Amino acid sequence: MSKLDELKAELKSLGKEYAKIKTLRESERKAFGEALNAKKARILSAIKNSENEADSSALAPIDLTAPFAENSSPLPASKGTKHPLTTELDLVAEIYRNMGFTIIESRQLDDEFHMFESLNFPEGHPARDGYDTFRTREGFIPPAHTSTMQYRALTRFRSDLDNYGQIAVVIPGRVFRNEDVDVTHEHTFYQCEGIFVSKSATLGQLLATWKNFFETYYGQKLNIKTQPGFFPFTEPSLEFQIEKPAALGGKGDDWLEMGGCGMIHPNVLKTAGIDPDVYKGFAWGGGIDRLVMLKYGISDVRYFESGKLDFLKEF
Amino acid sequence: MLISLNELKKLVDIKIPDDELFSLIGSRLVEIESVDDWTKKFHKIYIVKVLSCEGIEGTHLHLCKIDAGQDLNSEIDPEHSDYIQVVCGAPNVKTGMFAAWIAPGAVVPATAGTSEPFEISARKLRGYMSYGMLAGADELGLGDDHSGIVELDPTSLKPGALLSDALDLNDKIIEVENKSLTHRPDCFGIYGFAREVAGILGQEFKEPLASIGEPLKDFLSSHSSTAPDFSINLLDRSICPAYEALVFDFSTLPARKTPYLAPDDIFLFKSGMRPISPLVDATNLIMLKTGQPLHAFDYDKFLAVGSKTSAPEISVRLARNGEKLTLLDGREITLERTDIVICSGDTPVALAGAMGGKSTEIDASTKKIIVEIASFSLYNLRKTQMSHGIFSEAITRFTKGRPATDLAPATDLSIQSFAALGGKFSGAVFEDAPEPLENSPIRVSIPETNSLLGSNYSKDLIIKTLKNVNIRVESSSENTLEVFPPVWRTDLHIKEDVIEEVGRLLGYDNLPLSFPTRPLTCAKIDPLLSLKSRVRSILSDRLGFNELLTYSFVSRKLFEKADSSPEDAYEIVNSISPELELFRPSLVPTLVEKTYENLRAGHKDFTLYEINQVSKKSFGLNEENVPNLKTCLSVVSLRDFYFIKSVILELKKSLGLDLVLKSAPRSAFENSPFEPLRSLEIYLTSGSDEILLGRLGELKSSVKKSFKLSEVCSALEISLEPLILVKNPKSSAPLKISLSKFPFVSRDLTFRVSEDTPFAAVESALISALSEDKDLVFNLTPTSIYKKPVSSTKNLSFHLDLTNKTKTLNSAEISAIIEDITARLSALGAELV
Repeated sequence: MSKLDELKAELKSLGKEYAKIKTLRESERKAFGEALNAKKARILSAIKNSENEADSSALAPIDLTAPFAENSSPLPASKGTKHPLTTELDLVAEIYRNMGFTIIESRQLDDEFHMFESLNFPEGHPARDGYDTFRTREGFIPPAHTSTMQYRALTRFRSDLDNYGQIAVVIPGRVFRNEDVDVTHEHTFYQCEGIFVSKSATLGQLLATWKNFFETYYGQKLNIKTQPGFFPFTEPSLEFQIEKPAALGGKGDDWLEMGGCGMIHPNVLKTAGIDPDVYKGFAWGGGIDRLVMLKYGISDVRYFESGKLDFLKEF
Repeated sequence: MLISLNELKKLVDIKIPDDELFSLIGSRLVEIESVDDWTKKFHKIYIVKVLSCEGIEGTHLHLCKIDAGQDLNSEIDPEHSDYIQVVCGAPNVKTGMFAAWIAPGAVVPATAGTSEPFEISARKLRGYMSYGMLAGADELGLGDDHSGIVELDPTSLKPGALLSDALDLNDKIIEVENKSLTHRPDCFGIYGFAREVAGILGQEFKEPLASIGEPLKDFLSSHSSTAPDFSINLLDRSICPAYEALVFDFSTLPARKTPYLAPDDIFLFKSGMRPISPLVDATNLIMLKTGQPLHAFDYDKFLAVGSKTSAPEISVRLARNGEKLTLLDGREITLERTDIVICSGDTPVALAGAMGGKSTEIDASTKKIIVEIASFSLYNLRKTQMSHGIFSEAITRFTKGRPATDLAPATDLSIQSFAALGGKFSGAVFEDAPEPLENSPIRVSIPETNSLLGSNYSKDLIIKTLKNVNIRVESSSENTLEVFPPVWRTDLHIKEDVIEEVGRLLGYDNLPLSFPTRPLTCAKIDPLLSLKSRVRSILSDRLGFNELLTYSFVSRKLFEKADSSPEDAYEIVNSISPELELFRPSLVPTLVEKTYENLRAGHKDFTLYEINQVSKKSFGLNEENVPNLKTCLSVVSLRDFYFIKSVILELKKSLGLDLVLKSAPRSAFENSPFEPLRSLEIYLTSGSDEILLGRLGELKSSVKKSFKLSEVCSALEISLEPLILVKNPKSSAPLKISLSKFPFVSRDLTFRVSEDTPFAAVESALISALSEDKDLVFNLTPTSIYKKPVSSTKNLSFHLDLTNKTKTLNSAEISAIIEDITARLSALGAELV
């Protein structure tokens, strides 16, 4: 008699046992019935296992470690890839959108006014040189920072101040600097900028907001620290650092510089037609390429714009 | 900029551990790039006296007996107890001199911390035991002089003493990042830097010079009774708002005090400079302390250049076109019109702020000097720096904007320093800044301060914080402060500047964090960003294409290869290379090039695409007067016309777009890589308008040839912006399949037509025939186009799914429909096969 037959016989015999219930006192019946039900469930499960085992043993063995079956060809693989930078920009935008920020993209040809003047850079000020901008023959500028969109964002969403009491915009985009290219420097790269304006904006809120972004992005609590900085369009101006996240091998004693930030300079608000005596704002911005490089351990920034499928097929 | 910790400690009472101080400086003043720890560098290096020194025959070497103090003498050299034997190759070693001796087992300081630290040992040289070595300045890491060994002052030093103790070398040198102090000229001197360090430690700073903040006029009137006889002529106050010239008489010019290493020399080394001559060193030291650069002219030469015998005339003006000047380093430069020059009379003798001229150089015969203390326009000096490539310590400071009203401290130190060198101060002449010495007060309220920072600082704390760095504060009312920026603070203008000081000195990292509150309204969705994201999903995830991002800058040659004229492109005038000369008007040429490169790299069967911004002059300017940009999608494949057409049809279907493809005359494809006979224009229907979106097709043979592509190659390029402007895309129309609850029946139909009948004629005739009965619901899918090689006809096959909104179609009804269609198609000469 096989094991399966034994189990089936046992199941059959349960009928007689159930019949005994009538012979018991009222108070004993519940416990008796429960025990018997449990036994039945055990037997049924054992029968099921036993049947499955029988099915399995009928199958021819295969090599589970092989990528495809014997005497067949490789399975079609997905060939499509998205660029890691656009994927990351989408992710960053999604986090900020969830925080309530409207996302607009930066433009790739602009002028002195948006790049410098509207941002409180005095004309001819050496700080303008620090951005190593390219120029077209007509004097247009492929922007060196996404802040080139600040004036536009402030004026375009100015009515939000009346409607919602605040402007909350995040601007990702491609920027350009005339500098020598090496493993960590590119003349073409991506930045992401944020601006927030309200009657009660504070420096503490700026730090909390940017910190919260990175905590969401890296999925962990992070310590932050700052350094005084200098940007003509913010006052105070700070450099922002986060503790190296565990996902990047951080042990809490290492810091990553993430970019610059500060309270929007009153002249910038004024230029955009916002009364700095009523409203205050904060702005922050940093590079995207480096986030991606850290995330995937990419050693050379030049891969991004190389158009090499060897690189792109990794993503 | 390099800052010596020991110098800081002389000026500020620092009680916290060094590392804590560095991290405070980093978080409240300026980024520290590195700290060079000298305290470990000079381990086991001693002061010794050379007792005797004899040449070793046939070599340049000397056999020396040195005294390193009793303890070391008996410990190091086992053969002698009262001296140590060292072989020395330096030409200047001599009996009786005091020198620096690196004991066996010590590391040569210049190599400490490098990848190859060099440890000194006891070893035999030419048969003589040599214990350790006598060190040159370069080996000690103090400058690069390797002409001989260092000679030390015998009057104040004792053999056996540690060199680091005797010369104040137990120091840590902080390198700070200049960029974040761009607006703080006051921090480019150790006194100003120390003031800030006191401030971030919460301590009151004791100014080392009483003259700080004093008007120059007042200071000079109490230090000199006579004014020298000469004039200063500032021709343009905007380039030079203030200029002072001090005159010192030297009966004999002080000689180089070396070979002794003096404390001032060490200070120079620690600051990244080196001793040159007593006069130059004095001006450099004043600069390192006050942040104010100085320049010294030979008085008599200055007179001679201006063809004067007495009463020199100093004038400051912009250089004229083509004017030339020979600098101190011997270089003759052609001046730019933005360069500021110091002139004797009208003849340039110095490039202001950058470098002195050869014609007024101080030399051994100098008897009298003019010392210049001035303020120049940082804008001009920045240009001078760039055009002549001069990046000295002085011009670095000037380009931060030396305040015109802060000349007294450097004047004070000059009088002290040159007097110590034997110079007799015979007065000064100056042209002062016209503006008042003290800027008008800035009014700041306590609530404003706290509301900008998100802090809760008390009035007393805010006042104390500002006063610690010698900013005068008056309390004008309970909640309001009047803040008087000191003359050296060129960065304080508005209340936010003052609030920044409070936040910074008290530490931004101490601010409480809180979130802005916001109404629960949705963030606005940018339709272009959403569209781009959808297009990428279709192309990458569904069609298996590869997304690229490539440079926005391209070469002229690339465009010429793509049979596209680069004339219309925006040209980058300061491009990195000719490869990056144009802002691209199209993505296609780059993608074709990348296709070739990837083929060459061994990839097969791929399709590349990119979504990015393009522009060209003919796009015109927008209402902001900046170039109109288009966000374009380009696809380049190694397949034929029909493949690239299928891509646009897929986008049309997936995005629900009302697209129309049209052939166009040859002229439409001129100045483009598209082959006219195998290309179409792509239009978007919007109401009654048709907007040209772009083009698709195979590339011209000549284009393929110039890109070395032997394969068939096709491309498409469309601009995406018009797609988001269409208000009612077709995707909002109900799906046909849901309209009938009756089953579909299928038929495969093949029509024979003449070879020159266009496919679209047959297809549209079919659709219009089927559309006539409003109750009919159908899907028509082309399945094959077949033509025998030598036939004048072709067979077009379709798969037809058919149903009726009101009933199940029976076979008689279906046959009737097919017959009807066939009859209508006979007008095209088509017959059902």
